Amino acid sequence: MSDAMSRPGTLVGQRVLRVNDGKLLTGAGTFVDDLHLPGTLHAVVLRSPIAHGRLVAFDAAEALTMPGVVDVLAPEEARDATRPLRCVWLMPGQGQVDYPVVPRVVRHVGQALGVLLATSVAAAEDGAERVRMEFEELPCVVDVEAALGDAAPQLDPGCPGNVAVDLPRGDPPDAVEAAIARADHVVAMRFAIQRLAGSPLEARGVVASWSPATGELTMWSSTQVPHHARDHLAGALGLALDRVRVVAPDVGGGFGPKDHLYADEVLVCLAAMRARVPVKWIEDRREAFTATVHGREQIHEARLAFDDDGRFVALHSDVLADLGAHPSNVGAGPAFVATGMLEGPYRFDSSGGRVRGVLTNKTPAGAYRGFGMQQAAWVRERLVDEAARTLGADPAELRRRNMIRADELPYTTHTHQNYDSGDYAAALERATELVGEGLPAAPDDGRRRGVGLCSYVEFTGLGPSAVQEIVGFALGGYETAVVRVEPDGRATVLTGVSPHGQGLETSLAQLAADALGLPITDVRVVHGDTATAPYSAAGTIASRSMTVGGGAVVRAAGRLRVKILDLAGHLLEAAPGDLEIIQGVVQVRGSPTAAVPLRTVAEKAWLAWGLPPGMAPGLEEKDLHDPQDISYSYATHAAAVAVDLATGRIEIERYVVVHDCGVIVNPMIVDGQTHGGVAQGIGNALLETLVYDDVGQPRIATFHDYVLPGTGEVPDMVVEHTQTPSPFIPGGMKGMGEGGTIAPAAAIGNALANAVPEIAHLVTETPMTPARVWGWLDAAGVATDW
Amino acid sequence: MSAEHLHDLTLTVNGVPHPVSVPARRLLSDALRHDIGLTGTHVGCEHGVCGCCTVLLDGQPVRSCLMFAVSARGHEITTVEGLAGPGGELNAVQRAFQECHGLQCGFCTPGFLMTVTALLAENPSPTEDEVVEGISGNLCRCTGYQNIVASVHRAAALMTDGAGEPRP
Ligand code: FES
Ligand code: FES
Repeated sequence: MSDAMSRPGTLVGQRVLRVNDGKLLTGAGTFVDDLHLPGTLHAVVLRSPIAHGRLVAFDAAEALTMPGVVDVLAPEEARDATRPLRCVWLMPGQGQVDYPVVPRVVRHVGQALGVLLATSVAAAEDGAERVRMEFEELPCVVDVEAALGDAAPQLDPGCPGNVAVDLPRGDPPDAVEAAIARADHVVAMRFAIQRLAGSPLEARGVVASWSPATGELTMWSSTQVPHHARDHLAGALGLALDRVRVVAPDVGGGFGPKDHLYADEVLVCLAAMRARVPVKWIEDRREAFTATVHGREQIHEARLAFDDDGRFVALHSDVLADLGAHPSNVGAGPAFVATGMLEGPYRFDSSGGRVRGVLTNKTPAGAYRGFGMQQAAWVRERLVDEAARTLGADPAELRRRNMIRADELPYTTHTHQNYDSGDYAAALERATELVGEGLPAAPDDGRRRGVGLCSYVEFTGLGPSAVQEIVGFALGGYETAVVRVEPDGRATVLTGVSPHGQGLETSLAQLAADALGLPITDVRVVHGDTATAPYSAAGTIASRSMTVGGGAVVRAAGRLRVKILDLAGHLLEAAPGDLEIIQGVVQVRGSPTAAVPLRTVAEKAWLAWGLPPGMAPGLEEKDLHDPQDISYSYATHAAAVAVDLATGRIEIERYVVVHDCGVIVNPMIVDGQTHGGVAQGIGNALLETLVYDDVGQPRIATFHDYVLPGTGEVPDMVVEHTQTPSPFIPGGMKGMGEGGTIAPAAAIGNALANAVPEIAHLVTETPMTPARVWGWLDAAGVATDW
Repeated sequence: MSAEHLHDLTLTVNGVPHPVSVPARRLLSDALRHDIGLTGTHVGCEHGVCGCCTVLLDGQPVRSCLMFAVSARGHEITTVEGLAGPGGELNAVQRAFQECHGLQCGFCTPGFLMTVTALLAENPSPTEDEVVEGISGNLCRCTGYQNIVASVHRAAALMTDGAGEPRP
């Protein structure tokens, strides 16, 4: 096992309270809109009001006469001063590989075209209303299937038929078809997953400051990925990397959409360089619904083939991913992952799929928590339940029968996932058991009741870099940690990952504290500023911070411990192997009188006097951790629901999660992440959807229209864990930030179909709003009158 | 900006009078954050749904994004910066949120703390339903609410134990 696990540890596994809560509880956090630099001007990003068209006239003359308006960066000027933004994940044959900061032809409502600066937000908004833009409107296409039609307007010359990506996945199509043809039964269904907005409560925002004297640009940004943003910002503006600094201050949630640099942010920086004073831009909520990437929208034509005895034979899904106006930084990545993780925890003779990424005149779709795995779970787990219905089998028993057994791991799937470790059936067993426990006897209230399951395996800990190279995802998959014991005996951890609610300030400190024998209060985690943090290509995305970033801390701190013991052994004239560090004191094991405070060791090390021969000065270790392989977390969720046949309303009466994310560093934080993920999954299942009209105008502008789950929609849930260490990650952690989000729609959909089997064949779309469910009930003739 | 008429008034926030000079359309949230510099009050939607901007007006929770600064003249405003004690010690609600992990990114947190402070001042030992109902006007995208609900119960218990009063 890894370094950390073989050493005496006291904090890993403990419910350690978060070290950064104090400032957040007292209003002393610093989010980007809390920054006030002297002389700051306020920016409004000028945006396209139409879905598709050529900008033919732009006139800011009147706006520039408005009180407080200082400057307008026109589209032509912005285009001349910037280079296109590169797509980061490029699939083979992808027809569009970058996108302009400001386009000549707009492709979605909300696309950025320029910036107006004024002395206040209100003056900027007033001024923006006077900027005249004329467009030659072009026909637009909003529906992904319509976009494939012969008559559809063509959005990009590199993407004939609006298809940006077309890829086979898994086994060769012939092999999958042959396997399907061999099977006794096939369930075939068409699934549609809606378009969602990640909706961190803090929207995006930037403060940009340019120093003409040093040629240095600083951007404070509400981002998950400071280094990634810096690299792309420098590229877009043609600046040297050493002249660009990006700082992520406190960040009010991310959930995926803050995983890259946006055109808006380039424009605001450009405006600040021209104005030579700081510029602030804070995205408002309405703007966020069109300017920030969306997530999820896919259609799956999917088939599960199985034999009379319930054995799964083959699985296939033909996926249409609605990429929106252009491939985002991750393009068709979520559909690639959806097909990659479609097999879930089960064995198949054959499995495969097809991914088509299709352009439409909507906001680009990008990363959102779950990243394709939610779609995979919805498709697969609904098919499994319909297979059980076909056979008259128990859904849990059918799952159990086909699950990859613990003794079959490691196991390679048809899409080349090397599942590492765990016991998938144990999670299923326990969830099935727990969901029945404590359920009150159903009152006779006329509602139907049902239970649904969803089992999944989750790809976590993005890296290794070699895997990212194979799939064309141009981000290094490693993380770096610098662990230092300062001359005063306290420790500093520098990390490249960039927490925004996940509590890494605490959990990474726990790892270092254990290795160094320090209390948590003596360890400080520093992150989020490219001027001080070690380089991180990928940042805090993809459930990778505790695995890849945490693994780096374990390794660096482990090496630092060795050096501390060597030096302390020299000072104490003891063998390093006989020493331990307890609460900041290095002592001979079992003989606490032979001891030296870590502080004294640190003083000696940094003074570099009297070191043993060959020992370098200082107490600092750096580790670049490129994981050996992917870590696969897994879970089974179970939902018990009541369905009102008169209104179509689904109430979740019990929700159970049995989860394994390897070694748990802080169970309080892990449970919290799970609760929050499930809540977002419930939004996905029951409430949230982004709707456009047929000319590409969004029908969603506020949280009145886009309904986030509130206390009333999220039930208390039961969360249990098992811990199967990752064989690849020092410390044994697997990723868990996304997991909760993956399963709720499928578990709830299966519960609905179980409660009302008459509509089971219709339960194919999310969100399952009362209106939609009532429509299904009515179509099946089971809707009742009030 | 010369076109816009400014109103001189005093806003009393956390017991401290702050003279401000604001146009009539200045939102209370903006006046608190940008004129007075108390940035603990957050803005998540500016249309009255998320509750991030909740402050107390004479002890009652209000959405500061739905109110003009000029309308707050003559009222006692309490913001998240006014909750901790003079030495910075957390009050019962703040402590409970930390103990029960009732916050993740912390963006919604000031709004919840204000809502809960008012809730417990009115009803010191709320039932489960009363807690869920009491915080139903605030959104959190991170926590899934379970730990926030637990935090409210914990705060009620801390206050009953006399370990701390919600201020004011
Ligand atoms: S900012 Fe006031 S309710 Fe959302
Ligand atoms: S803690 Fe992030 S929104 Fe509530």
